[in-house]
Order: sequence, then structure tokens, then C-alpha cells
Amino acid sequence: VLQLERRPGPLRLQIEAALAAYGRPLRWAITAVHHPGAGEAVLQIEAVVLSGSGGA
Amino acid sequence: MTTTATPLPTLLVIPTGIGCAVGGYAGDALPAARLLAAASGCLITHPNVMNGAALYWSDPRIHYVEGSSLDRFAAGELLLRPVRRQRVGLLLDAGIEPELRLRHLQVADGCRATLGLDIGPVVTTERPLEVSLSLGASGVSWGQLGQPQALLEAGYRLKASGATAIAVVARFPDDPESEALAAYRQGSGVDALAGAEAVISHLLSRELGVPCAHAPALSPLALDPDLDPRAAGEELGFTFLPCVLVGLSRAPDLLPAAQPLPMANPAAVIGMDAVGAVVAPAGALGGAAVLACAERGIPVIAVDNPCLLNVNAEALGLEVLPAASYSEAAGLLLALREGLAPAALHRPLPAVAAQR
Repeated sequence: VLQLERRPGPLRLQIEAALAAYGRPLRWAITAVHHPGAGEAVLQIEAVVLSGSGGA
Repeated sequence: MTTTATPLPTLLVIPTGIGCAVGGYAGDALPAARLLAAASGCLITHPNVMNGAALYWSDPRIHYVEGSSLDRFAAGELLLRPVRRQRVGLLLDAGIEPELRLRHLQVADGCRATLGLDIGPVVTTERPLEVSLSLGASGVSWGQLGQPQALLEAGYRLKASGATAIAVVARFPDDPESEALAAYRQGSGVDALAGAEAVISHLLSRELGVPCAHAPALSPLALDPDLDPRAAGEELGFTFLPCVLVGLSRAPDLLPAAQPLPMANPAAVIGMDAVGAVVAPAGALGGAAVLACAERGIPVIAVDNPCLLNVNAEALGLEVLPAASYSEAAGLLLALREGLAPAALHRPLPAVAAQR
């Protein structure tokens, strides 16, 4: 599960860039959107990535 | 109702493993898909919508595209080339017991003999795939694969042997006494297998670039007198494989969009520039395909289809066409196909706004 503060611009590329830090994304989805304060929304993203150790 | 308008290629997305009231069970979104195919004339959708285990429907207007390939198509990375038939290779997990394995081989033979499908060769993984199931923080079903390399090696062997599409059967863990399974069978739960199934087919499809789909191998369940009709398709036989073989038998080829088309008739290829709408559950708009469509300005029809998630248009700041049902969505598609502005069908109809 990844929490990602939403930035202006296309969402999909923001999410894929954030997930790339953990491995190759195989499947992901925004599963919730939170508004913790007056700032930008925070996206809850659940994903399965292909890790360097060979598991998925 | 008939239309003379040219087809309006449309994506239908009903994410797997999120407990959708329509499409969260055993291919129970198939009637909706057939309706939307009739309304649009060309529907591109994924196995979760079409797969009813022993039940299936083949419609030349419906293009069966695995979920991650659908995402890549929506992102403009792939084109779809309809074909008359695929040669469907069968990839079996080494973890399947001999009797269950034989059941699956007999399904393949049945589909060859009775439906005339081109199936083969059959390859078994070098090691058991070690599938495990899990639930995410939201309750969405996910899963892991312990031996992804064994899956890919078997896939490459199939492709090298002439398979143009791949049906995968992995041994899934049996859990016949679980409360989650009981809830699912009685129509109030999430398909616990779906998330892991998606991971398997996504991995194989991305690596091999051919149509892929998955069927889980499970031991038969005891009879449930309270079985929900939406789950019944999975309890008619010993395997979930028939729908996968039928779906893949006419799945379109996946062509990289960045490469020149290797064919004489490029008009036969479907690209994202032709897509006129995407239809998705109103609470599950946060997936790659829907977001890619929204970024391109393609109309998003958000259907009231209750599920675990509440990632709706307001939460994401998307402009959508709301629909109370798939029947209403079909009407909206028909309007778009005919060139009608959907707003003209609603009352009150505000006066046109004049700019200074």
C-alpha cells in the first residue's frame, strides 16, 4: 500500500513513477482518496510489483 | 432498436476482486457486455467480464483483451488486430495433482472436438508456481506468485512452439471452509482468487506480448443449496478452463503501437484514437485504463455498480457521464454512436451560455 499526495497533472504517470521505486508494477489501483487537510488529496494505492528477488 | 451509425469502439472495465454487484462473480457481467456490444458495435473488454468458468459467449463485436494489455492499449502503447483464430497453448502449473491435471486436459480435448478450437501445445512448468492469496487494506483481493520465472520459462516454450495465445492454469490454495468463500458463493463477498489470477496473466502477457488468460485449478466444492446465481457458473464442472479457451481462441493480436504495422490492411487494426467511450463502475475509476481514457478526453460512463471502493469522479476530479445501470449506459453509448449530445436527453435543459 502506497500513500501518494496528489500533484497537479495526469494521475496515471504520477502513480507509475511512484511505484517504479519499488519494482515493476504488475497491477495497481487507487483504492481510496483521503483529504487530510486543506492541501492536496492523498491517494491510497494498492499494487503488486515484480521485485528484484524474483517474486511477484 | 437498430442503428446505421458506424461502430463506436468502447472499453468496458469491471475490475476483478473488488466485489462488484455486477461483474464480481462468475462472468456475471456478460449480459451487460453483450448489451454494450450491441449498442456500441465494438466492445473491448477483459476476461473478468467474460469468463463464466463453464459458461461463455462468443460475439465477434467483443474483443477479449487481458487486463494489463487493456491498460497498455488505453495508454496508446498497443494496437489490437482482430483475427479469425488463435492457436491457444496450454500452460499447466507443476503443482496440479494428476487427476486435476487430467480434468484440464480433457477440457482442452473437449474444446477441440466440440468447438473446433486450435489448442496446443501443452507445457508444464518446471516447478510449482506457489500461488498465495491476500487481501489489501481496502479489502480488495490480491495475490502473490512465488515462482514467476518458472511461469515465464513455460510461456516462452509455448510461444517458441507456435502458440499465439496462452491459457494458464495454476494450482490455487483450497480453502473450502473459509467464511470469505461462503460469502462469495452466497453473493455477498469478494472473489478471493481474482487478484492472484490477474497478477499471473498480467506478468505473462506483459513479458510475452501475446493474449493470455488464467483459470485457477481447485478441488471441487461441496454442493451449496444457497448458491447465488451469479456464482453458479463456477460450479457446473471440474475446471474454470472452457471460458478461457473460448475467449482466447478469437482474442485480438497485440501489436506494439511504436512499430510499423506488419500487414496489408491497417484499417483492420483498432487503436486508441478510434475509441469513443469507456464504461466503468462509478466507484472504481482509479485504474490505469480509465485514467488513461480520461486523460485523452474520452467520455467516461460511470455506472452505479456497488463495490468495495468509493473512488468516484468527485474524488478524482473527473468529468463523467453518470448511468444508473448498464442499460442506461447502453443508451448513452448509442447516443454517442449516433452523434447525439447526451445532455440533450436530460431535463431540465439549460439555455446555451453566450460568451462575451
